[in-house]
Amino acid sequence: MASELTTESYISHHLTNLTCGKTPDGWTCDPYKVDQMGFWAFHVDSLFWSIGLGALFVFVFRKAISKNSDASVAPSGLQNFVEMSIEFVEDNVQSLFGSVKNTLIAPLALTVFVWILLMNLMDLVPVDFLPVLAGHIAYAIAGDAVEWIKGPESLYFKVVPTTDPNITLGMAFGIFILTIYYSITVKGLKAFIAELTLHPFGKYMIPINFVLEMVNFIAKPISLGLRLFGNLYAGEMIFILIALMLFFSSIPIGVLGFGLHLVWALFHILIVALQAFIFMALTIAYLAMAHETEEH
Amino acid sequence: MNINATLIAQAVVMIVFVAICWRYIYPPILSVMKEREKRITDGLEAAKKADDSLEEAKLAFDKELNQAKAEAAEILDKANARASQIVTDASSKAEAEAEKILTSASTTIENETNKAKEELRQQMSDIIIDTTQKILGDEISKEKHEEILKKAAEEL
Repeated sequence: MASELTTESYISHHLTNLTCGKTPDGWTCDPYKVDQMGFWAFHVDSLFWSIGLGALFVFVFRKAISKNSDASVAPSGLQNFVEMSIEFVEDNVQSLFGSVKNTLIAPLALTVFVWILLMNLMDLVPVDFLPVLAGHIAYAIAGDAVEWIKGPESLYFKVVPTTDPNITLGMAFGIFILTIYYSITVKGLKAFIAELTLHPFGKYMIPINFVLEMVNFIAKPISLGLRLFGNLYAGEMIFILIALMLFFSSIPIGVLGFGLHLVWALFHILIVALQAFIFMALTIAYLAMAHETEEH
Repeated sequence: MNINATLIAQAVVMIVFVAICWRYIYPPILSVMKEREKRITDGLEAAKKADDSLEEAKLAFDKELNQAKAEAAEILDKANARASQIVTDASSKAEAEAEKILTSASTTIENETNKAKEELRQQMSDIIIDTTQKILGDEISKEKHEEILKKAAEEL
């Protein structure tokens, strides 16, 4: 199949998720039947890396606890890293959240930050490495049994979960639910509804107020999710385009591509950490807003 | 890039991980960090206290040392004074003793001299009488010429 490889197929191969869902013929992961699956389909690759990296986060931090249990011993290695991240999160929560007492915010922020950072870091793994590896493994294990696996290339496999809008919007959705929950429990349902309907034009313009406030309210999680997705998707795209320079061009352009790859990877480290931080900071900020009783 | 059930699955996964972190990861690490922070604060305070008491001990030590030095100097002075006193006493005593010995020696010598002179005088007078008797026969006797002998002895 390598002879059929074109620029277009290479790019689309890298931008398509491994999707499994229910078709009229039953459950399948056949990429040519994705259109029949409708809403109830899952991006198996995104969820695999998302859950795997989340589990890695839990595993590493749990491991640090077992070493951590004695306060009289000076921390070292992994434990230092873990405590540094916790201190970092605590500082941010302190500065954005101030005096509000809520034990969930800091663990939430920590989870979101470390998890997104890990998912973003997958972008730094060479673009072809894991997809090709996964394709070969799948072909070797299930090549004969599953009819739609015709070769190592027929398996789509996206490695960076945060380049999948489902993942980023899914997390933003979880935070949106928490925002609503705390808005109602802290402010009370009446105050929450009043906040959505009585501003900015007073009680005689309730429908207009509601529309305006709803836009404002819903824009927060959507922008939160799409910001992360957009940044990482663009970054991934550039990696793919640079990789194309290596495969489909002459040697000088290939060498240039190699240099560009290095430069972009270095620059991308900044984006990776920055986007994880922004997502965390906005999560804290939105939840802090949910706790503010009188904001106008 | 379709929006599908992955979104809901991811939201659920996120809630699960956040719950795990909230329940099992964050509190134990934070409590140990707080405890360690307290220990470090306490330790620094204790170190400061120890420093202060060391300073105090140094001052006290210096004071004691100076006092001891002063005392030692005083004792030394006293001892010197006493020693020179002893030397003075001893030399004056020795001088007195020497004087005494000298005096008694010269007295003895004088006595001995007198005694010897007396003896000589006696023997002389005896010899003279003996000789005179032999020369003159029995005409002269000690008793008869007592007067003359005495005069002669005094002249000797």
